[in-house]
Amino acid sequence: MSIKRPPAPGDDPKAARREPGRRGARSPLARFLVRRVLTALLLAVGITLVTFVLTNLVPGDPVAANLGQRALGDPAIVAQWRTEHGLDKPLPEQYLLHLRGVVQGDLGTSQQSHRPVLDDLADSVPATLELAGAAILISIVVGVAFGVVAALRRDRFSDHLLRVLSLFGISVPTFWLALTAFYVLFYRLRIAPGSGRIDPGLTPPPHVTGLYTLDAALAGQWDVFSSAVGHLVTPALVLALYTIGLLTRFTRSAVLEVLGQDHVRAGRAKGLPPRVILFRYVLRPALVPVITVAGLAFGSLLSGTVLVEAIFAWPGVGQYAYKSATTLDLPAVMGVGLVVGGVYLVINLIVDVLYGVIDPRVRLS
Amino acid sequence: MATRSRRPGAKAALLPVLLTGALALAACSGGGSSSAPASGGGGGAGSKTLVIDTSFDLKTADPGRTYEPTGLIVGKAAYETLLTFEGSDVTKPVPALAESFELSKDGKTLTLKLRKDATFADGSPVTADDVVFSLNRVRDMKGTPSFLLDGVEVAKTDDTTITLTSAKANAALPYILPNPALGILNSKVAKEHGATADPNDKAEQYLNSASAGSGPYTIESFNVSSQVVLRANAKYWGQAKPAYDKVVIRNVEAATQKLNISRGDSQVALNLSGDQVAGITGDLQVTRTASANVIFLLANRDPSVSKVTSDPKFAEAVRKGVDYAGLLELAGEGSVQAPGVIPSMLLGALPPEAAAGRDVEGAKAALKESGLVNPTVKLEYPSELTVNGLSFQPLAERIQANLKEVGITVDLVPAPVTTALDNYRNGKEELGLWYWGPDYPDPSDYLSFLPGKLVGLRAGWKAGADKELEAAGDKAAAETGEDARKQAYTDIQTKLNASGPFIPLIQPGQNIVTASSVTGLKFNPVWTVDVAGLGVK
Repeated sequence: MSIKRPPAPGDDPKAARREPGRRGARSPLARFLVRRVLTALLLAVGITLVTFVLTNLVPGDPVAANLGQRALGDPAIVAQWRTEHGLDKPLPEQYLLHLRGVVQGDLGTSQQSHRPVLDDLADSVPATLELAGAAILISIVVGVAFGVVAALRRDRFSDHLLRVLSLFGISVPTFWLALTAFYVLFYRLRIAPGSGRIDPGLTPPPHVTGLYTLDAALAGQWDVFSSAVGHLVTPALVLALYTIGLLTRFTRSAVLEVLGQDHVRAGRAKGLPPRVILFRYVLRPALVPVITVAGLAFGSLLSGTVLVEAIFAWPGVGQYAYKSATTLDLPAVMGVGLVVGGVYLVINLIVDVLYGVIDPRVRLS
Repeated sequence: MATRSRRPGAKAALLPVLLTGALALAACSGGGSSSAPASGGGGGAGSKTLVIDTSFDLKTADPGRTYEPTGLIVGKAAYETLLTFEGSDVTKPVPALAESFELSKDGKTLTLKLRKDATFADGSPVTADDVVFSLNRVRDMKGTPSFLLDGVEVAKTDDTTITLTSAKANAALPYILPNPALGILNSKVAKEHGATADPNDKAEQYLNSASAGSGPYTIESFNVSSQVVLRANAKYWGQAKPAYDKVVIRNVEAATQKLNISRGDSQVALNLSGDQVAGITGDLQVTRTASANVIFLLANRDPSVSKVTSDPKFAEAVRKGVDYAGLLELAGEGSVQAPGVIPSMLLGALPPEAAAGRDVEGAKAALKESGLVNPTVKLEYPSELTVNGLSFQPLAERIQANLKEVGITVDLVPAPVTTALDNYRNGKEELGLWYWGPDYPDPSDYLSFLPGKLVGLRAGWKAGADKELEAAGDKAAAETGEDARKQAYTDIQTKLNASGPFIPLIQPGQNIVTASSVTGLKFNPVWTVDVAGLGVK
């Protein structure tokens, strides 16, 4: 972490402002970004190395997962397959070839789908982004609101109720919730649509972003849009429940902490309207830890949607990663590793920048 | 802490909560109402879209590389082969693109007469050149199905006659030709898109986006992880026109398949286990048949791998010690006991009464004869593999309990399939639990279980280990007459059961659920379901 937070409010606020002037040319934000991008590149190389080594350490042969039993008995077919996928070369050479490909924007060809990994990811990543994005959006709105309400009504009935709800959200297993939600909302109550991203009778919207809701809206296909939104809601709510629980608890404790601080008391003493106190004096500083949690939660949503995707037949990156891992599809596993790692890095970066935006006391050093 | 205040902004904070709740509900009910017409339109009688849910095992739509169950469903719909099978009967190949065929007496030459009226989806005629190109392409690309035509020379005698010549008698060829991997491509279109019929062939990418066949359906879109959309071939030359305008094959887990079909969101569910179909109610149709997959145990004959299992009497003790009825109970509806390694629907299969039964005393006696006292063996199996919805884990546990009663201690060694396959392929497993599905529905495929052959070697059964059985295998491979072949394979299996290292266990059930509006469903062990054979009531 290259973030430095001043120890307490009331410290010399000019310190942060003085810093940029001394260094001159580039702003601290720009320097910070450059440094982070460089670190990210190093991390990306690390990710590829770790994924490569781990996948090759697994005792098993990708040939076995990709060829039929009869073909496995034919050395000519096995040799041909190995050559086709570059597995006849020594491991270090395979790794260097992969790195060269990555630099040239080529993640290799998936052994299971016979397509470029980039094409596979271009299909599956937007599907998961749409799902995880919707889930995190719901989580932030609901979780923060629940947390604030619980803090403001501390030890009252609504506080207890919200805390029990958040505990439920955190402790209930997602796969169970997904199955139950699908069964109750789709099968029993018939208020939610079936599995998949849109109704099978509809044709997906023209590919622009890969997010069906957005692409359908851009193309003006409102029937597809409404179907895409309908299909998105249940899995997104299921995924959101855990994060809602988490955010409720974090927001509650953060708000409680800020409520007791002097500047809030001073605001009240000055007779400021409650709304101003809540949004400007309480929520703003309280949001810093909440943003950290939300950022991490989004990252784990992206890589942790396997079960929900399986139950809702959602063709996302979770399902792709699972299938790739079980078939030892090295290029695909490495592609997924890079993408998920990259997303984590970007989210961390955004979160760090947001600290500064929300709380000017936070300096970028 | 100072919360004594008037709870500033509490009402304001409630606003987003209410808003989100309202939005969620609106979207939820919106989704429901939006799905209703589409799923109605996506399915029931009178509509022209058919939705098939299946757990995908799919890599490609290029017939020359296709070998996975879902790929064969797609291939069967988009391409046609020289010969085919009617419905579920795989004991009798019938003409398709060929109007007749004849196998020479020595079994080495198959002569086929090509139909003159067949056309590809673009309207161009299916020619002998297309046939020669397509079959040579499968053989020479060295893709997964290339072994089907190993050593087979394909030649055009005249514009409507094709000969397939093998060095040895190959009575299985008419049973191999219906495999959708041997679908005939429009060679002109394929060549335009990179088909070279050698290992550098580049047509797969094109064939994954559009089809180049003469089948009743064409491929509209193809995604190996989510769905395949087929569109009726408007210029289909055959008599039976496709009943649906559009067929959507979706990748859906078994549990979700059950809910989807029960609710009318799909019309065909292919992967429900015996337990899952037991709970199916309403007006859905359930087709329960035994699959062609035979699950078996192998006891390694190589003394360097195991001093215990290499004793033939040990295999006999296992054969008599397994509770087959208990395994069938685990496998659920539709499953049957496998009397031999050849599944029940193939020529040469043993009758059900020839199946082994449990005989604990007999098993103990065999074990005593072997001189082994309370032996301990390792049972290796692919733990996450399921065959027709049946997992190997409970099967292995049940076998462990059965053999305990006989006095054999079984240590379970589960492993992911890619890991477990390594030991299995290299013949290093002491005791193994695996399955074999037919590469083509002909008993000659099962000669692999003999000493020195593919599966035999996996059980450490080297060539020369049982000369009499090996000679019987060579004789069976050379037979061409149907009765003689049937007798030869029956005899081989009887001998295998008496003295071989394999213990055939069960054929799990293949349960297919269809909506009441769907007609004509027939399970076929090669391509599971012929989409073009499905109609609307």
